[in-house]
Amino acid sequence: MQILRETKLEGLRLARKVGRQKVLEILLKKKLGGRGGANFPVAKKWETALGVKADERYVICNADEGEPGTFKDKFILKNNFETMIEGLLIAAYVLRAKRCFIYLRGEYDYLREELEEKIKEVLEKSKMKVSIEIVRGAGAYICGEETAIIQSIMGNRGSSMYKPPHPTISGLWGKPTVLNNVETLTCVPQALVYEDWNPDYRLFSISGDVNHPGVYEWELGVKMSTILDVVKPREKIKAMSFGCFGGIMPVKKSSSVSQETICKGNCQHGAFSIIFIGERHNIVDICLSIAKFYTYESCGKCTPCREGTIRLVNLLKKIKSKKVNEGDIKLLKEFAEHIQETSLCGLGQSCGNHILTSLKYFKKDYMRYIK
Amino acid sequence: MKDKLLLNILHEVQDKEGYLSEKSLKKISVEYNIPMSKLYSVATFYTMLRTKKQGKYVIELCGSPSCVLNKSREIEKFLERELKIEIGETSKDDLFSVYKTSCIGCCDEAPAMLVNGEPYTKLTVKRVKEILEELRKNANS
Repeated sequence: MQILRETKLEGLRLARKVGRQKVLEILLKKKLGGRGGANFPVAKKWETALGVKADERYVICNADEGEPGTFKDKFILKNNFETMIEGLLIAAYVLRAKRCFIYLRGEYDYLREELEEKIKEVLEKSKMKVSIEIVRGAGAYICGEETAIIQSIMGNRGSSMYKPPHPTISGLWGKPTVLNNVETLTCVPQALVYEDWNPDYRLFSISGDVNHPGVYEWELGVKMSTILDVVKPREKIKAMSFGCFGGIMPVKKSSSVSQETICKGNCQHGAFSIIFIGERHNIVDICLSIAKFYTYESCGKCTPCREGTIRLVNLLKKIKSKKVNEGDIKLLKEFAEHIQETSLCGLGQSCGNHILTSLKYFKKDYMRYIK
Repeated sequence: MKDKLLLNILHEVQDKEGYLSEKSLKKISVEYNIPMSKLYSVATFYTMLRTKKQGKYVIELCGSPSCVLNKSREIEKFLERELKIEIGETSKDDLFSVYKTSCIGCCDEAPAMLVNGEPYTKLTVKRVKEILEELRKNANS
């Protein structure tokens, strides 16, 4: 796996040797994009923060992967954390930051002591005068969102904030702040050190009705048949869900898995977490469990998301009670669309994806409940 | 408060005392000059911070789709039956508090749960029964 390649501080040495601007040039040329889903060029993000006049800048590693079905960052934390710390140090060097944070999700707290020891080791070896502090998350999915994570580190409720300003301009304590996730930061030294580093390799978290769930690395455009051959479905697969937020679509063996094919199906790949759903399941059941997740995780700040997610759960429950007609299904669709259009942050804006895509592809499952 | 991070302070107190009591929060309030209203506002926002007394073992059962597909509902029903409580409650002997949680990142070993933060994976009803027995034994020894 490319992501497991170690760089043993060679990336940091190289970065200091060639200088800040050159590092940005290399990362841009190597096409390193953020791995949270947006694929925004890392160099551009860093450049923006570097361009803001400030006496202090901060770097935050987002280790709060909370998207259901996602566990690839945990895989890196366990297997190549040193390289990730090196990525964090390179970011600190380029941005002239003196203080870095790793926002570790509460559900991974059992890894913390080991991570702290490794941070100490790498920092000593690097001889950089930078602090790296682990911030202990406490079970809020919304804190994966960049403005919420900043609020959380500052000791507030983890609610999202309006943008602009973007964190790169004004983030932690009003200073320019760069946020990258675990996978992205691990790629930084690898992209600098290895000539043959390939920007199209992605980590996939595979789970659900398969015999070999786990973290895999494939190149974008990989055929679905290749994935299925490896993960071995334990029954006929009916659908795949991209985490909770990315939507649900049918599985076609001949299709390739890339940004284009997934987006064309009105889904979002996000961090390439694929939950395979077997034929025996009714999609409405799955949608109800996803809808409950959103009511649980909505931060409550904006009305459409706070109230709307509850209404979606109630409507789905009503559908399952079979006391509905087609008008209720129409209402469900309208509700999902309105919440997405009017919510403040990514959580509310994507909380209806599973409903809209499942209505598009699996309407039969809904119609079973109609009088 | 830039030097000491509030979330870490709250966690440290909870680690020691099991939950964030009014007394402990008052102490933090005085020491760091943070109003009690703000402390409660923060502490009640995060599901893993708790302001009420908890059982000795806090069980957080994952309710994400990957776990649901792997029969986590059976585990949920078993826990409720075995401990004679509903999700969100604490058992009469004060040993177990059970919650359902969003994804805990163990989807490749589903179904899964955390007990006092430690992951237990590939659960079956039989295995959960054994885990509960072991925890009871540890509590009594």
